[in-house]
Amino acid sequence: MMGHLHEPTTEQCDAWHRDGAVLLEHALQGAQLAAVQRAFTEASLQTRPAWLEQVVQGTAPAAFFDIPAPLSRDEVFLGLVDDPAWYGHLQAFTENRVTFIQPQFRTVPPSPLSYVGWHYDVPRSNPLHLKVQIYLDDVSRDEGAFAYVPGSHHPDSGPYPLVGDLESMPGHRVFEGAAGSAILFNSYGLHTSMVNRSRRPRRSIILIYEVGTEATFSPETFVDFAEHCTTPDRRQLFRLEPRPEPSA
Amino acid sequence: MTRAPVIDAHVHVFARASTEFPRETSDHLPADREAPVERLLERMDAQGVDAAVLVQIGGTAFEQHAYLLDCLKRFPDRFLGIGLVPPDSVDPGGHMDRLADHSDGRIIGVRLSGLGGPADPFEPVDVSALKVTPIWEHAARRDFVIWLYPRAVDAHVVPHLFSGFPQVRVVCNHMMVCPGPRFWWDDKGRPQADVPMPPETRYSTMGLKIGRILNNTRGYYPYPNVCVHLSGHYAFSRQLWPYTDLDGWQQSLLMVFGCQRLMWATDFPWIDSDPGYDQLVQLPDRTFPDLSAADREHLMGRTAAQFLRFPAFRDSAGWLTPT
Repeated sequence: MMGHLHEPTTEQCDAWHRDGAVLLEHALQGAQLAAVQRAFTEASLQTRPAWLEQVVQGTAPAAFFDIPAPLSRDEVFLGLVDDPAWYGHLQAFTENRVTFIQPQFRTVPPSPLSYVGWHYDVPRSNPLHLKVQIYLDDVSRDEGAFAYVPGSHHPDSGPYPLVGDLESMPGHRVFEGAAGSAILFNSYGLHTSMVNRSRRPRRSIILIYEVGTEATFSPETFVDFAEHCTTPDRRQLFRLEPRPEPSA
Repeated sequence: MTRAPVIDAHVHVFARASTEFPRETSDHLPADREAPVERLLERMDAQGVDAAVLVQIGGTAFEQHAYLLDCLKRFPDRFLGIGLVPPDSVDPGGHMDRLADHSDGRIIGVRLSGLGGPADPFEPVDVSALKVTPIWEHAARRDFVIWLYPRAVDAHVVPHLFSGFPQVRVVCNHMMVCPGPRFWWDDKGRPQADVPMPPETRYSTMGLKIGRILNNTRGYYPYPNVCVHLSGHYAFSRQLWPYTDLDGWQQSLLMVFGCQRLMWATDFPWIDSDPGYDQLVQLPDRTFPDLSAADREHLMGRTAAQFLRFPAFRDSAGWLTPT
């Protein structure tokens, strides 16, 4: 982890608990953002031909392209997992028990149909599950922006209607953002990717986290990055070592 | 008829290749192979199936539709038909009209597979420039049904067509699977497709996230002009009947489309020897044991009767018209 860890502001803490989602504007910027964009483009160019062949075969979705094994493709990517722009927030919102589950370096081409409807990712029986979605380009509401129903992460929220048009979900918020902006959200809540009506694919990086438990401890998953995990916290983040259970 | 009709929404019949009934032949459909309509009617009658949709096989030329036209003429109250369009046709609309005219309107649409969109999903899709657009335009003008079985490479084009032609009735074939190029015929004479299930193409064609957690989505299909028929299990399943490895995907389709936009179908004759027509009739009750009586009626025939407008089964509710 490089740089000064950002702590969530009181306003962000309130938004997290009340809404379940927090916009971190310009979380990446300047040279760092440019380096991530450049590495993303390079990794896409290297891996897209294989994906296109899988699309023809029907073994990969055409509705989005995920760069395979992205963390190993550029050092700048690995550092995003505990980037200070959001890692302090993740630690604060998980009482210092955050672990990293997986990355999705995703490009979503234009389509009149979103690849995903309003959904939650995990049931509430699952330990707290969090995601950070980082836009690599400016994203307006019609360019496949992330959207969330504020408050839907609360167990007593809803019920929510079945909708055919994503725009019809009551109370939802579309998170437009400049390149480098990130949204940190609680995956118990309803969220989606709005329709990308533009003519350009939407690029974003999604980092998936969960509160560490015995079930999430998985020393094999990121063993290839062990040499980069030189502190106890980072070894626990990458699940090379278990997060200590909180004392009763 | 007081009870709801039972309609098999997708079957094939074909005669031995002859001057009267010319058709293409191949290793898997040699000239002397046949699946006559009388055999189908025997199976249907034994199982209380009132009607079926005959889907053209054996060639796209008008002349190669001779057996289909003959069946529709001989059994006008039992069947509707779906034709094929020659891929190089300069006048697909004229071809479609000719099929409709020569069947007294009983060929209600055409089946499409290749859509001709850009192979790279990142490239913009210009609906007006697609090779199949004249067919869709003609379907819109003349109220033809599109019987859609796209290949995986075209899956991302599908929503563009649905959005561009909201007035065209569409039936997605075979559980909305868009197979890749790997097809073969098994030793029982059945076509087989190597497709991951649930299909990866669902993200393009259905859009809603339904998978590991069945109830985690809050949506239904946004295109009311689109139905899906449930068939082709034998080709996609890795198991024998009742193909329980496909239950999850079919439950997803049920959640998203509901029985008012789902149709039961057997894909006769491919299922005739394994598992047998009777087993396909029973399959929905095994897959969806908790359906209400009304939902079951829709799945087994009412949806097809209304959406496809079977003349024999027009009821007081009228036709189901896309909005």
